Amino acid sequence: MAILSTERPSTASTTPAHRHKGIPVHWRARIWYGALLVVLAYLVLLPMVRLQLLAFENDAQGYRTQYGRYDIAQTIGTTVAFALGSLVIAMVLGTLLAFAASRLPAKAGFLRVIPILPIVMPSVANIVGWAFLLSPGPGYLNVLLRMLPWWNGSDTGPIDVYTLPWIIILTGFGLTSFVYLFVNSGMESISSEHLEAAQVSGSSSLGVFFRVLLPLLRPSLIYGGGIAFLLGLGQFTGPLLLGQNSGVKVLTTEMYRRVSESPSDFAAAAAAGSPLVIFGIALVLIQKAMLGDQTRFVTHGGKAFAPPTGKGTWATITISLFALVSLVIPMVGLIIVSLTPYWSGSLSWSLLTLDNFRVLFATDAIVESVVTSVLTSLGAVAICVPIGYLMANLLVRGRRFRILAMIADLITALPLSVPAVIFGVGFLLTYTEPPFILYGTRTVIVLVYIVLMLPFATRMQMTSMLALGNTYTEASATSGASPFVTNIRIMLPLMRPTILSAVALMFILLTHEFAASLLVRSSTTQVMGTLLYDMWQNGTYPLVAAMALLMTAVTTAGVGVAMLIGGRNVLSKL
Amino acid sequence: MTSKFRVSGLTKSYGSNIVVDQLDLEIEEGEFLVLLGPSGCGKTTTLRCLAGLETPQDGTITFKDRMVFDGQSHLNVPAHKRNIGMVFQSYALWPHMTVRKNIGYPLKVRNMKQDIDSGAIEAAAEMVDCGKLLDRYPSQLSGGQQQRVAVARGLVSRPDLVLFDEPLSNLDARLRDQVRSQIHQLHQKLGFTAVFVTHDQSEAFALGDRLAIMKSGKIEQYDAPEHVFENPVSEYVAAFIGMGNRLELRNGHDGWMTSASDPIDLKRAAVRGLADEGATAVARFRPDDLTLHRSMNEVPAGNVSLHAELVTYEYGGRHFDVTVKTGTEELTLRANAYEHSAALRASKPGEPMVVSFSPSALRVFAANTGDAAAARQLTAVPAEAAA
Repeated sequence: MAILSTERPSTASTTPAHRHKGIPVHWRARIWYGALLVVLAYLVLLPMVRLQLLAFENDAQGYRTQYGRYDIAQTIGTTVAFALGSLVIAMVLGTLLAFAASRLPAKAGFLRVIPILPIVMPSVANIVGWAFLLSPGPGYLNVLLRMLPWWNGSDTGPIDVYTLPWIIILTGFGLTSFVYLFVNSGMESISSEHLEAAQVSGSSSLGVFFRVLLPLLRPSLIYGGGIAFLLGLGQFTGPLLLGQNSGVKVLTTEMYRRVSESPSDFAAAAAAGSPLVIFGIALVLIQKAMLGDQTRFVTHGGKAFAPPTGKGTWATITISLFALVSLVIPMVGLIIVSLTPYWSGSLSWSLLTLDNFRVLFATDAIVESVVTSVLTSLGAVAICVPIGYLMANLLVRGRRFRILAMIADLITALPLSVPAVIFGVGFLLTYTEPPFILYGTRTVIVLVYIVLMLPFATRMQMTSMLALGNTYTEASATSGASPFVTNIRIMLPLMRPTILSAVALMFILLTHEFAASLLVRSSTTQVMGTLLYDMWQNGTYPLVAAMALLMTAVTTAGVGVAMLIGGRNVLSKL
Repeated sequence: MTSKFRVSGLTKSYGSNIVVDQLDLEIEEGEFLVLLGPSGCGKTTTLRCLAGLETPQDGTITFKDRMVFDGQSHLNVPAHKRNIGMVFQSYALWPHMTVRKNIGYPLKVRNMKQDIDSGAIEAAAEMVDCGKLLDRYPSQLSGGQQQRVAVARGLVSRPDLVLFDEPLSNLDARLRDQVRSQIHQLHQKLGFTAVFVTHDQSEAFALGDRLAIMKSGKIEQYDAPEHVFENPVSEYVAAFIGMGNRLELRNGHDGWMTSASDPIDLKRAAVRGLADEGATAVARFRPDDLTLHRSMNEVPAGNVSLHAELVTYEYGGRHFDVTVKTGTEELTLRANAYEHSAALRASKPGEPMVVSFSPSALRVFAANTGDAAAARQLTAVPAEAAA
């Protein structure tokens, strides 16, 4: 029979399956993925490339301007101290909270969500909340502290939230939730038998913690720590809102200053961001190398993490304290100020009023900023989820497309390691010039949001795909379903919980987004965070407080909707 | 005109690791072929190449008249266009669909609406005794039920070829026998063409019309189960199908001897081609072909008796599994419990034992030089013929 010979079957006798469409199937997939990657590279890489080109123009004029400044050493020193300080706080607190969460008594299990709740509260809201409490003059907590005998008689202090140490502390609190997320998921994959084995071998609880638990958590600690450090380096909100007037400068605020002062100097701004970009990329590479063979840390088999024995009172107290400090207290500060006609250290019940909220809802610009925030966030999420799905698909099943997968890995990791401010500056530069002049439109906000969310959309869906494995799709393919049908009827329904979690997380992060938004917004196209900043600059503090509460409410409503559709577990999936 | 499924020159490697090596295979329509071999021999990869889930580097695969893979011209028909059914080790029932939807899926995605309307889903479920479970979700079923539903899903659209990837491995022993027998009955009734991958020889013997025993990406023997059982072509196959006892033989100047210098009268089962003095060979035989005797007097005429000593024994109900040592080699045998219980219980390790076997039970191979080709069986001469 001719078919067995190497001779090609004649075209006349070929069945439809023999038909060659010119390009083999896997090449067609390669071309589609390639095209998508080109678009993403345009979005992610081009702004950064353009910044660098600009910084090197005129004999690297940008670098000379920025690094010739008399106080540049101090700025860099502050940036590093800031990142390290907040990293230490976040690592210690995050690990402690994760350990505490694993030791919670069963009936206090709901407290496990608390350490991630600060993510729901916008960082601008959190920071202005603390400013209302710890401002040296009219800060309410300071006023209370001054009632203590040893601080009596002073008009200011004892705490000055506008100084570097306090900015670091508040930022550290904000980063704690991220570390908690990583460490907590790391702990869940440690079998209780490993801990019990150490206990039976004679280790004390403390010994178990330091000799067994911490070493096993190394991958999560390295990963979570790396992310927290990058976030610390790129931190913008705290230094800008609290440090601007007291002369606390970090590289990100320098970038903003260069762009926002007139005449704006993009070249110098780009140069200011370079160390952060280089460091971010380096850290991602080092992390990959350091984690190396992750199977060493896999402790599967056996029961899940230690079932809590004992009362775990300390755990309940630790987590409740964190909730108090990171959520309740700043929220109280916001509520008080939002209900008063003006911010002063004193508080009298008779003056309380809802006027601020009335003004809020009567001001068109504010209502419009809410609409813009919600629309741009939803738009970015709607575009980012399918892109993330495709990228995750490429990364997971990309054995055949090794080079494309490598590029995808890089492009989707980059926005997490490069501070949002840099993307903001890059987008501002790229989209105020041809071919796409988008400055002042909601489109440019959506685009920068897509870039910022790319890592989350990809990683979360990738984790889910890895967990589902290949068999479900293979069973579908061998049942006769095309890849498209398989994705629609099998993968999407199975990944629904993850996708909804991703949507919830991205919606939260985007409605809070401040750093990149501040750069690409225009005076007529504002999001909630940027408008809040303008009010803060103008000194209309009660409105700022009301606005911060409104932002929190919008986010909470979004999470609520996600929970309605996706079930209560949406947040715990994060 | 041809209704065969053919694989020729199939080669699949991962990096430098060649998993399937120039493999040839022919499956008749309606045949139940079992790919048997230890893990890592390439049997699952071969199956996945048939399914279109792996892309081989070279070779051709033809389903009846239709070429589905050709390494030369880069023809590779994707899995969903090969008209196959597949049953997976992990069942792979989609957890978000009911049993009805799971079974109906192949019909639905292949646009076989008339079959759905004419009750094909119900019939398929009934076939595997799951007719009452149609509206349940997979998580509400036992492992055996899940796998039976998966079998129904694999068969429902009457595909050209049904592939089974170790479908019984995840089931416990009792269920395994049940589902195995059900698959066998279904094949007898429906006559589908099947390729079934397993590492379990009893599954292979029970189900296969033909067995392909695989080693290092190649087929070592391809034959009906009875032939494989009686005449393994190599020591590898013999060991794999239950000939667990191994004796190293040497051609001394008084004839063939074991390593314990027991003479073995191989005149009756002549070893062709190894007549030279000093030649070595390996004999394989099954534990049930080795008999324990209470005394030398009981050794039947014509049997070869061995000097052996007791190593250990395990009680197994009606029998004892006895391990004895002859020379440097350990042999196992099954001894009738009623006959030998008292004597064995009174024995200690190291005590001499009388064991014997019929030379006709032996399968002799060239001593293993590590080279698979050299381990071919040298004799197939039955004892009677040589006498």
